[in-house]
Amino acid sequence: MLEQIELRVKGLNFYYSGGIHALKQINLQIHSNQVTALIGPSGCGKTTLLRCFNRMHDLYPGNRYEGAIHFVKDDILSPDVDLISLRSRIGMVFQKPTPFPMSIFDNIAYGLKLKGTKKRADLSELVEKALHHAALWDEVKDKLNASAYDLSGGQQQRLVIARALAVKPEVLLFDEPTSALDPISTAKIEELMEKLKKEITIIIVTHNMQQAARISDRTGFMMLGELIEFDRTDKIFTAPSEKLTEDYVTGRFG
Amino acid sequence: MLPGFLKGSMTREQFRKAEGFTALVLSTLAALLGLFWLVFILGDVLVHGIKALNLSLFVNDPVPPGVDGGGLRNAFVGQLIITICATLIGVPIGVLGGTFLAEYARGTKTARLISILADIMVSVPSIVIGTFIYAILVRPIGHFNGWAGAIALAIIMVPVVLRTTENMLSLVPWTLREAAFALGAPYYKVITQVVYRGAATGILTGILLSIARVAGETAPLLFTSFNNSFFSLNMNQPISSLTVTIFQYAMGPYDNWHEQAWAAAFVITIFILILTITGRLIIRWRYR
Amino acid sequence: MIRTTKKNPVDMIFSVVTGAASFTVIIFIVAILYELVHQSGPAIERFGIWKFLSSTDWNPVTESFGALTNIYGTVLTTFLSLLMAIPVAIGIAVFVTEISPNVMKGPIGIAIELLAAIPSIIYGMWGLFTLSPIMSTYIEPFLKNIFAGVPVVGILFQGTPMGIDILTASIILSIMIIPFTASISRDSFNLTPAVVKESAYALGATKWEVVRDVVIPYSKLGVFGGIVLSLGRALGETMAVAFVLGNNHRITTSLFDAAATITVTLANEFAEADTDIYLSSLFYLALVLFVMSFITLAAAKFFLLKAERKYSR
Repeated sequence: MLEQIELRVKGLNFYYSGGIHALKQINLQIHSNQVTALIGPSGCGKTTLLRCFNRMHDLYPGNRYEGAIHFVKDDILSPDVDLISLRSRIGMVFQKPTPFPMSIFDNIAYGLKLKGTKKRADLSELVEKALHHAALWDEVKDKLNASAYDLSGGQQQRLVIARALAVKPEVLLFDEPTSALDPISTAKIEELMEKLKKEITIIIVTHNMQQAARISDRTGFMMLGELIEFDRTDKIFTAPSEKLTEDYVTGRFG
Repeated sequence: MLPGFLKGSMTREQFRKAEGFTALVLSTLAALLGLFWLVFILGDVLVHGIKALNLSLFVNDPVPPGVDGGGLRNAFVGQLIITICATLIGVPIGVLGGTFLAEYARGTKTARLISILADIMVSVPSIVIGTFIYAILVRPIGHFNGWAGAIALAIIMVPVVLRTTENMLSLVPWTLREAAFALGAPYYKVITQVVYRGAATGILTGILLSIARVAGETAPLLFTSFNNSFFSLNMNQPISSLTVTIFQYAMGPYDNWHEQAWAAAFVITIFILILTITGRLIIRWRYR
Repeated sequence: MIRTTKKNPVDMIFSVVTGAASFTVIIFIVAILYELVHQSGPAIERFGIWKFLSSTDWNPVTESFGALTNIYGTVLTTFLSLLMAIPVAIGIAVFVTEISPNVMKGPIGIAIELLAAIPSIIYGMWGLFTLSPIMSTYIEPFLKNIFAGVPVVGILFQGTPMGIDILTASIILSIMIIPFTASISRDSFNLTPAVVKESAYALGATKWEVVRDVVIPYSKLGVFGGIVLSLGRALGETMAVAFVLGNNHRITTSLFDAAATITVTLANEFAEADTDIYLSSLFYLALVLFVMSFITLAAAKFFLLKAERKYSR
C-alpha cells in the first residue's frame, strides 16, 4: 500500500504567552489514513502539539509558533491561513464531551449550518449519516430533538465525534478522548477510530499506552517539549531505539 | 469540486465574517458607550463641583435663599453623624447574622432561606424602607428625627453586611476550624479567634462597600431624618444630610443653591468612589 | 450541619445572639409588610383593591386616590429603560468576556463597577442639569421631526419637548441599570466552559457564532435572572427619576410628557400629605411597590439560583 503524507511538521517551535518554550524543534510526518498516537508524561507537550494542527492556540493572545506544518500544499502556520476553513478541514474532539446547549439533531447540524446547508431534508440526511458513522444512530434515532445533555458520557462523546465528522474533515484530532469514559464506552470509541481511518487521518493524544499500542499505526513519544522518538507503533513498543522511550513504555517512569 | 459551488461557499464565508465583524464592532461600541456615560457623568460632576468648591462650604451654615455665601456645614456634619450611627447599628447585626448563617446554621434550610431573603432585601426599594420607618419612628413621635434616618440606613446595611460576612466566612477552610476544635476550643472561641481572623479582610471590605452603598442614599432619608437648615447634632430632631440637601437645592430656583448642590455632589461622589475602589482593590489583591 | 455540642454556656449565648441577628432579616420583611398594610388600612377600606389599582384619579383636594397613573409610569419607564439597557449591557458583557484584550478587562470591569457605585441622586441631578437641556434642545426635536408624522409610532412623539419627561427619565434609568445587567451577564458568560467554546471554534465557527450559538444559549438562564433583577431594581428607583419625570398624574401616550412613578409620587408628596386618607393612600402605594418589587426580585433570585445549580452540575 502506497503511503501518503497528510501533514508534514518541520522545525516546529511553540511558545506560550508567558514565554514558555513548550515545543522544541519538532519534525514529524503524519501519514494519511493512519492513526498516529502521541504519548508521553504529563506536561510533555503532546496536547500542545495537537492544538497546533488546528491553530487552537490562536484563541489566546500572545502564543507564538515558529517553523511550518505543511497540509497538502499550504503551511497551516502561515499568518494568512483562513482559520475558519482550516478548522472545518481539521476537526477536533476533546477530553471531556462538549455537547452544545441544543438538541442532538442541532448539535450535529451545527457545523453543516455554518457551512451553509439550509434545507431541512439535506440536513436530516447528513445528520443521520454522521450518526451512523459514529455508531450512535440506533441509540438516538427516536430522540433526535432531546437535549444533548440527556445522553450518557460515552454517548455524548460519540455525539461530539459525529458532529466533527458531519462537516467531512480530512483530519480528526483527538485529545485524550476516552480518559473521562468507562471501559465499555472506551472500547466503542476505539472500534470507531479503527473504522474511521479508512476515510480520514487521525491523530490522538493519549496518556494510556495500551490504548496507543492497540489502535495506532505510528506513535510519537514526547518529553519536555521534545519529540524523542517517532516510528511505527510496534517498533516503539517492542524495540525502541531510544533509552528514554524504552524506560517510558516499560513503565519505569511517567 | 464545481467552481460554482466553490464560489457559493466563498460568499457564504465572506457573509459570515462580515456578520461576525459587525457584531464585534457593535459590542465594542456598547462598551465604549458605557465608558462614555461614566466619563460624561463623572466629568460633569467634577467640573461643576470643583468650580463650586470653597472653604466656606465646609465651615459655614446655610444663609437664607438669595443671600450670597453660606455653606453646608450642617449637611456635612449631619451626613457624617447619620452614616456613623447607621454603621454602628447595622454592622454588628449584619456581621453576627452572617456568622450564624455560615457557622451555627451552616448548610441548613433556615440559613438558605435567610440568605435568599437577604439577597432580596438588598434590592428592595429604599424609599419603601423610608415609609416603613416613618410609620414606626416618625408618626408616633410626631416629628422627623435623625435616629429614624440612621435606622432606615441601618436596615439597608444589614442584608449587605450579612451576606458578605456569610460568604467570607464560608471561604475559610473547614479544616482550620477542625484544627481548633481538636485543641478543645468551644465553637464561639473558634469563631472569634480563628475564623474571624481568617476572614477579617473580606468582612472589612464588605463593611466599606456597605457604607459606600448607604452614604449615597437619599430616598430613605426624605421623610425620616428630613432636613434642617440649621446646624444640629441632636439626633432626636430633624437633621440635615448631604443627599437630601442636594435634592432640595437642585430642585430649588436659586443659582447659588445649584452651585452648592454640585459641590455637595462632588464631595459625596468622591467619597463613595474612593470607598468603592479601595474595597474592590482589596478584594482583587486578597482573593485572586 | 448545626453542631450539637453546645455544652459551653457562652457558646449557647453566642449562638442565640447571632441567630437573633440573622432573624432580623425576616423580621424586617414581615414588619415592613405588616406596617404598610396597617397604615394603608383606611385607604384599603375606602378604595378597595381593584378600584385602587385601576383608578387613574389622584386628587388630594377631593380625596380620591387611585394608583393606576403611578403604576403606569413605573411600568412604562422601567420597560423603556430595560429596552435601552439590555442590548448595551449584553454588548458590554460580550466585549469584556470575548473580545477585549486582557489588559482592557480590568479597567472596563472597574468602570462598570464605578458606574454602579455612583449614587442615584447624582444620576438624577446630572439628568436635570445636563441631560435634560440636551434632550429638549437637540435630541427630542430631532426625534419629533423624524417620527411625529409617522402613523402609529408618531403617537409616542407628540407635544412640546421639554426634557422633563418619560424619555429623559427612562434614559437615565437605563444608564443606571446597565452596570447590573452587564456584570451579571458577564459572570454568566464566564461560566461557559472554555472547552465547549473551543469545540465550536474547532468546527470552524467565528467568534460571533460561538457567542451567539454557544455562550448565550449556555448562559441564558443567568442572563435572564440578571435582567429580571435589573427590572426589580428599576421598579424601585427613586432619585434618578425624581428630578426629570415631573410629577404628572395622567396617563399619557407621548414620551415627551411628564409622568409619575410610585417612587416619584412618594418622594414628592409623602412629607406634605396633610390628611389621613392622603397619607394612607401613599402608604398603600408603597405597599403596591413593595409587593411588585418583592415578587420580581424573588423571581430573579429563583432564576439565578437555578442557573447556578445548572452550572455546578
